[in-house]
Amino acid sequence: MEDIKTNYSRRSFLKSSALAGGGLLISFSALAKFDLDDKVNKLDLPDQWYELTGYIKITPDNIIKIFNPNPEFGQNVMTSLPMIVAEELEADWQKIVVEMGPHDNVKLGPQFTGGSNSMRMYWKPLREAGAAARNMLMQAAAQTWAVPVEEITTKAGMLYHEKSGKSGTYGSFASKASEIAIPKGVKLKDVKNFNVVRHSQKNVEGLKIITGKPLFGLDYKVEGMLIAMIEHPPAFGMKLKSFDASETLKMPGIKDVFSQKLYEDGFEQGGFDTRTFNDLLVVVGNTSWEVMKARKKLKVEWEPAGDTKNTMSGKREVIVPGELESTSTQLAKMKEYANKPAQQLRKDGDPETAFKNAAQVIERTYNAPFLAHNCMEPMNFFAHVTDEKALVAGPLQAPGWSEPTLSKLLNLPADKIEIQMTRMGGGFGLRAYGHYIYEAALISKKVKAPVKLIYSREDDMTYGIYRPMYTATYRAALDANKNLIAFHVKGGGIPENAVHANRFPAGAIDNYLAEGWQIPSNITIGAFRAPRSNFAAAAEQSFLDELAEAMGKDPIDFRLELLKRAKENPVGKSNDYNADRYAEVLKLVKEKSGWNNPENKKYSRGVAAYFCHNSYAAHVVDLVMRDGQPYVERVFSAIDCGIVINPDAATNMVQGAVVDGIGNALYGGLTHKDGAAEQNNFHRYRIIRMNEAPKKIEVHFVQNDIDPTGLGEPPFPPVFGAVANALYKNTGNRFYEQPYILQLNKTSRA
Amino acid sequence: MITLNINKKNYNVDVDPETPLLWVLRDTINLVGTKYGCGMAQCGACVVHLNGEAVRSCVTKVSRAVGQKVVTIEGLSEKNDHPLQKAWIELDVPQCGYCQSGQIMSAAVLLRENKNPTEKDIDAAMAGNLCRCGTYLRIRKAIQLAAEIQRKGI
Amino acid sequence: MKQHTERYLLPVKTISVLAVILSVIVFMSFSFKNETTISSVKSDTINKDSIESVKAFMDVYKVLMSPRCMNCHPSGDVPLQGDDSHIHNMLPQRGKDGKGIYAMKCMNCHQPTNLEGLNKPPGNPNWHLPPSNMKMVFEGRTPGQLARQIINPKTNGNKTIQQLIAHADDGLVKAGWDMGEGRTAPPLSHEEFKKAWITWIKSGAYAPKQ
Repeated sequence: MEDIKTNYSRRSFLKSSALAGGGLLISFSALAKFDLDDKVNKLDLPDQWYELTGYIKITPDNIIKIFNPNPEFGQNVMTSLPMIVAEELEADWQKIVVEMGPHDNVKLGPQFTGGSNSMRMYWKPLREAGAAARNMLMQAAAQTWAVPVEEITTKAGMLYHEKSGKSGTYGSFASKASEIAIPKGVKLKDVKNFNVVRHSQKNVEGLKIITGKPLFGLDYKVEGMLIAMIEHPPAFGMKLKSFDASETLKMPGIKDVFSQKLYEDGFEQGGFDTRTFNDLLVVVGNTSWEVMKARKKLKVEWEPAGDTKNTMSGKREVIVPGELESTSTQLAKMKEYANKPAQQLRKDGDPETAFKNAAQVIERTYNAPFLAHNCMEPMNFFAHVTDEKALVAGPLQAPGWSEPTLSKLLNLPADKIEIQMTRMGGGFGLRAYGHYIYEAALISKKVKAPVKLIYSREDDMTYGIYRPMYTATYRAALDANKNLIAFHVKGGGIPENAVHANRFPAGAIDNYLAEGWQIPSNITIGAFRAPRSNFAAAAEQSFLDELAEAMGKDPIDFRLELLKRAKENPVGKSNDYNADRYAEVLKLVKEKSGWNNPENKKYSRGVAAYFCHNSYAAHVVDLVMRDGQPYVERVFSAIDCGIVINPDAATNMVQGAVVDGIGNALYGGLTHKDGAAEQNNFHRYRIIRMNEAPKKIEVHFVQNDIDPTGLGEPPFPPVFGAVANALYKNTGNRFYEQPYILQLNKTSRA
Repeated sequence: MITLNINKKNYNVDVDPETPLLWVLRDTINLVGTKYGCGMAQCGACVVHLNGEAVRSCVTKVSRAVGQKVVTIEGLSEKNDHPLQKAWIELDVPQCGYCQSGQIMSAAVLLRENKNPTEKDIDAAMAGNLCRCGTYLRIRKAIQLAAEIQRKGI
Repeated sequence: MKQHTERYLLPVKTISVLAVILSVIVFMSFSFKNETTISSVKSDTINKDSIESVKAFMDVYKVLMSPRCMNCHPSGDVPLQGDDSHIHNMLPQRGKDGKGIYAMKCMNCHQPTNLEGLNKPPGNPNWHLPPSNMKMVFEGRTPGQLARQIINPKTNGNKTIQQLIAHADDGLVKAGWDMGEGRTAPPLSHEEFKKAWITWIKSGAYAPKQ
């Protein structure tokens, strides 16, 4: 019988080390003395580590630890980034210990997860670190054995001098190697000779995940930690007027209730300091449930905030409108703005004349709602702030972006602030924003205790920092022979538009015009998996499909024709894509999906392709109707992201992006009434479920040796377009308004 | 004082009997494998076994668990070798991993009651567990693999 | 209140009597196009009045077809949900005994009592659907169909008339009025419903024409 006492040490939580061999419990000599059973999170690793570059530490017993520098939110950089190091280091991957790196931009690079940039950012630095460390070990061995370093070879954590028959572990030379200066310009391996990279490796945290180990911010705990929650206004455009906490303070376990400003007036916000509500009404108590219960007893008065002001860096002021917005009025306003002049983003040739002289003009308008990120793990952050220093720990995508603001708010120098990155239960862009870190820190400072701030699902879903609300009108001009002679996209949004003026089909059409407009709002927005692209692809790829049909062409062939033009005789200079690679994924998906195979006729097939975040993706989506509801039964995907580091994990990512895309295209969306979100939990905000997900998603990667580019975002946007195009094939109707289920069920958002 | 039996161990906890089991597990007993996702039984991240049944601990009062057997993800197997856990590792299912405890606990009931689940059975059993990362295909395959592991007694 | 003597003493006799009654009903339905009656019950509890009976049933029908009752008497194998009676989120299945299957058995989420807060699963110690061999469907039934279904033991869960009368006070039936925050109560109070129910039965349990 155990009486419960909290038995956590910060060290044991964060030394989140994992055995690279998929976390399988390999008992082997050097590690046998360590208790690797289900106490993996308290892995008692030795203290005698020798550092060889910021990423690698080795013990005399030849335990090699590699730090993952970049925050992990399911893209599995925890595995793939160390793989790159291990490859060039020539360590035995099965015996590597991986640990989440501390926040150290000097030793561990930029450390931000976003823009599908992890691979691009770290490919070269990690290879160089691994190669440099290997070189240092070789030099150490050469010195010890008094032989030329060129005669040293390495394999799987061992050094060899074949001529003399000498050999030794990396560990035995680690101490000596760590004193050697880190060499620059060491020759890297030929990518065709990789043993680790380009081979599927198991998730290094897999075992911990499926045995319920504490990994996530919400799991983080220290002795004496309090729980805090914030009571937000019920609507955008409202603010705190007054509150009566007398009943709340009487509730068991409650320590304090107070209001607190997040930013003082005139505080210069960085790009990722976005916050919706500045006046925080905070409840602090011992446990989560006690705080959740006590919150309900708050008597609060809210009032309209009116127009407010945000000060951005450089003292630039932005007015935030005070109107309490409703979706119906937003849609009406967007229609109004769509008819006004807009900002020209790109013009090629003479589109106006071409449209005037056209034999046929096709015009279509597309709409999509705000989307909530809805990471499975709601927002939360731990902070322990004293007058001398601060420790913050939790799920965040970019510690470096939040540190300066934290330093300003707490009046502490950066070197007195420690930011620890836990595993994130999803990010999707939302965790790049720092407001909840600052909130936690300010609360901890006020109550003079370690505090974990938690957001309920309702808090999380109604807080904002959404994917914007978008619209776009596409126009195409055809001549008498049904040739495409002009193309026009005019996109708008609340509060920003989604136009990528230099993306395909720009460059393939002589007369081209891209325009954009926006309507400011107090509904805050932020990066959401493939920002802007996640709408642009839906609209554009639906439109191209409709065009192809009007021109009597197959949708894939039509795109390939345009790409051919873009390659051989491009229009304009800044065309933001490689036409060959773009065409390649379309050809690959055409082949692998059996695009013209008659046995696939039972499916309603939709195709779409897109380029964003440096990678190319094309999907063929096979849809059927099941009991009157659309069901995507299978998907074929073709991806070009350069060298694929971890093929199976990469496949998992693409499959996930496809499921995410189908779910958002068919079901996702937030609406508002007088500033209040009409969806605040999963009973109203529909997320795709197991029975709605495809049974098969076949992923094909273009095989090339191009330096790796990203994969988190690129597969996501074209899924929306492919689904719309498949729905057309099935129903005979085009789908212009997301989520598409509304049109099918004949309900409307307004 | 309430006595709970969790993963074959007894715990005395001093909590309001109306507290959801989820928060007693996470905050009081420090078993954090069971997750909070929505607080209203919509997402399945909080699934634990109460006398073998897959209850949603975010809406289940701790009083309902008194005198009963509770099993959480931490106690699903002694050696991390439940067929589902083996299959999950074999097929490298998780992405962010947050929903996976709940997925496995729900799947465990399916496999106990149905040694040879069809696609429809899997749909019916698992439609209550959300995954934002979209690992559904792999979960499905892992359940099928686990069923095979179970059948063959591997 | 169950009539134990009636139920246990002569089950065969009861069944055969009911069988006779049913054939009488069938015969009479050809001659009385407007009503169907059960005439086996002791005459001191039944004062047949077809108009009164049908009128009372229309009140009963109003309640039974309201979401709080109809949602657990769906035509398919998935319960309905909410004031708009949409298909229950997550598609929990009826299962053989009506208690759900696998990881979505009704009481995995529905607790013995209601919970505080909007949109939480409503509670009752006996939360379940009718079993698959006795679905007792309300959804889509016309008043006539529903009335006939209710008075027929083959489709009403083997209930006798006395059991039917007592059913108005069944725990799960009453739960329709203890529905948790944010849900609309049935259009009549439980008292009014019970009165209409008993009136309908005692005045002959006539089924409306349609």
